[in-house]
Amino acid sequence: MRSSQADIVVTAAVAVLAVDTAIAPSPVWATAVVGFALFVSCGYLLGEVLFGTRISGLERVAVCGGLALVVPVLGGLVLYFSGVLLHRAAWLGLMVGVTLICDLVLYVRRRAGLAEPFEMPHVAWRGSPWHVVAFGVAVLLAAGALAVAEEGVAHQSKPRFTQLWLLPERDDASVGSLGVTNDQGAATQYRLVLLRRGKVSDTWNFTLSDGQTWTRSVQLTGKYTITANLYRLPDVTQPYRHVNTAIGTASGA
Amino acid sequence: MVALCAAAGVVVVSAAYTAGRLGHDDARWADQLLWAGQALIILPVAFRLLSRRLLTEASAIALVIVLTVSEYLTKICYSPAAFTYVDELAHWRSAENLLHTGKLFTPNYALPISPDYPGLEEVTAALASITRLPLFVCGLIVAGVAHLIWISCLYLIFRLASRSHRIAGIAVLIYSSNPGLPFFDSMFVYQTLGLAFMGVAVLAARHLASDERRTGRAGWIITAAVACVATVVTHNVTSYMLVATLEVITFGGLVARNRISAAWASGLAVLVAGIFTGWVVFFAPATIGYLQPPLTSAVDAAKGFLHGAHSATSSLKTLPVTPEGNVLLGLADVAVISLLLPVGWWLVWRHYRRRSWLVGMAVGSVSWYAVVGIRLFVPNGSELAGRSSTFVYVPAGCIVAVALWHFVRPAVAGARRAARWRVTGAVAIAMVMLFDGLINSWPPFWERLPGAYQAGGFERSVDPEGIAASVWALEKIGPGRRFAADVGGYQLLGSYGDENPLNNIYFLYTSPTFTQSDAKQVESQQVQYLWVDSRLAAMQPASGAYFPGTDPKTGHYYHPIPLGDLTKYSSLPGVARLYDGGSIVIYGLAGVATVGAGFYAK
Repeated sequence: MRSSQADIVVTAAVAVLAVDTAIAPSPVWATAVVGFALFVSCGYLLGEVLFGTRISGLERVAVCGGLALVVPVLGGLVLYFSGVLLHRAAWLGLMVGVTLICDLVLYVRRRAGLAEPFEMPHVAWRGSPWHVVAFGVAVLLAAGALAVAEEGVAHQSKPRFTQLWLLPERDDASVGSLGVTNDQGAATQYRLVLLRRGKVSDTWNFTLSDGQTWTRSVQLTGKYTITANLYRLPDVTQPYRHVNTAIGTASGA
Repeated sequence: MVALCAAAGVVVVSAAYTAGRLGHDDARWADQLLWAGQALIILPVAFRLLSRRLLTEASAIALVIVLTVSEYLTKICYSPAAFTYVDELAHWRSAENLLHTGKLFTPNYALPISPDYPGLEEVTAALASITRLPLFVCGLIVAGVAHLIWISCLYLIFRLASRSHRIAGIAVLIYSSNPGLPFFDSMFVYQTLGLAFMGVAVLAARHLASDERRTGRAGWIITAAVACVATVVTHNVTSYMLVATLEVITFGGLVARNRISAAWASGLAVLVAGIFTGWVVFFAPATIGYLQPPLTSAVDAAKGFLHGAHSATSSLKTLPVTPEGNVLLGLADVAVISLLLPVGWWLVWRHYRRRSWLVGMAVGSVSWYAVVGIRLFVPNGSELAGRSSTFVYVPAGCIVAVALWHFVRPAVAGARRAARWRVTGAVAIAMVMLFDGLINSWPPFWERLPGAYQAGGFERSVDPEGIAASVWALEKIGPGRRFAADVGGYQLLGSYGDENPLNNIYFLYTSPTFTQSDAKQVESQQVQYLWVDSRLAAMQPASGAYFPGTDPKTGHYYHPIPLGDLTKYSSLPGVARLYDGGSIVIYGLAGVATVGAGFYAK
């Protein structure tokens, strides 16, 4: 490997790694790191192919960043109008494909002497170690600010509630879906009473942990109203939640 | 040191937001903490840019980036766990649909125009698919990167136009005072990405106009072309603002007798206009219907104003009352920019009249006065003025920066003490602009700090109970059902629920009885489900309106809605009580038609 092609080798390796992490089971942090590297590689290579060393600094970052974002926008349209559904394989294929094509174009241009060989950018550092320390502390503070915000959300007083529903199934209107979901933040005991024509037809006692759902199918009829009263035990004096099918026009229907 | 101060400022702002979440959202000290944090971010950057001390180009760029990143981090700290703003929620729905179906142009009931301009959703879905990170995280990254690209391009454009990194830095500082910055410029909305592409396109146009580097022209032509196309497929308004910008640059080129600049700019303007027309005709015909109402309204208002047929104050509402301080700061900002612009024009004419792009900026900055006119004299002009600020502040910021820098620069300064006063004055002026941009922007003053649920709000109407009910609706009822809901339910049903929330449904909630007329309207509007949030009976609407679309009592809800107006459906024949989540109840209205409108009270 010649050092003048180091960028091509690295970006091609990123593309291969992206495919590898997609095929083999990989942790999210690995797919995230490789995924970002793939976007950066793509933008970098487009910048190299279109401009070489003619742009630098902030301009290079902004233009290459913009070009990296253009790829999924225009590439996604081309794929979609070609009949390809835009799932993971399509996006990966697009970004990897553009990266490898740019690698190839850059390699050929360099071999033909049309593009300059890769050189590690020379950064003239004029700051003191204190600058580095101050910047590091600033980054830590910013991360801390996000952590404080996340903690604020976690500790925010949230409404505790329970969801009760009764409605016809979408594919069969004669069968009703009766359900309860506990969002009280703790295990909760319930009693659910089903009434037909105002008379108790079924009763269920159950305990749901936080986030847990209880469902049953019940027979529906349009002839009379079906009501479901949910009690939060031990209080059985007042329904905590209640639902009902459509009320008819005749009293007691 | 500036970065350290800014980071500390972000921590203080985050602490203020956390105080709001922990129940201190009405506390004066929490509000003061927020502004103290903002001062820590803004003041050092403003002082460093406007001071007479030597400033390298790297330092100017670092200051601009520190300011932009810090303000974006404060935006994340407001909603660190999920999107909460209505437009962000709408785009999140479009991105979710793309991610799950793999199809473009799938309906989005919350923002029907959004799928027609899928750029933002494509980038976000691509990133989420490849990295496997949550869509929310990818959305924040895409919006943040796009925002940084836009600001970087602005700096570069200002730098190329003025040939001064100091003026470019100050121009970005002034641009950062635009009220759209924390909103349309940086949220997870299609304009944020559209601006990034617009920035790259204009930057490419600037390079094409330059005689200096003919060798790199092919690269810039390709970059300009793809950036223009990407702008068109990403955002409609940004597309025609790109055309307008290129036309202004053309005019500037003609005035400065720079034919190359004028030719490239006009050529690109024709290209963008052509692509945009094609896109609207073949892929996004709904654009015309989407843009027609606000444009018609603006034209009618302008006609009315010219004929003296109205007063802007005629539409003033009683709620919510904007604090006096906010109004005064806004007026001071308008006055300062309005006074500095003519100074900037004079300086451009005197010193830079051969710089076609700076001349173009001067020409474009005239639009500032049109926006001020709209804001002050056109009914409901604030929204139009706010939306246009993203674009108007580009030339205005540049020309104001020229004026400010000539005010403080060493060559003009006399005695050291006088020079110090000049710098202090310039920093004070910048602070007035920047704080006006923050205070009179987003979030509105009545939900400046996050906190408990508010009826008739935006971010603070998004709460776990509403989200749970919307998700339930999607799972159990299915997508695309026609729902009546208050403004909080509207945004949740359209996003989490993927339902079709309706406008102009106030009549269902504002009377103690359900009448024949109501039943007929339910049938004519094909309302299938009714979302009732009993919390509306416990608090007045934060924004002044409870209901989406036309709410005739907007600003006139002196008391919360009576509970009986909301609970009347529990015993109403033909109505099914399908869901009970405590505060939120969902009714099925299919039986209303079965029972017949004639059954109900007259």
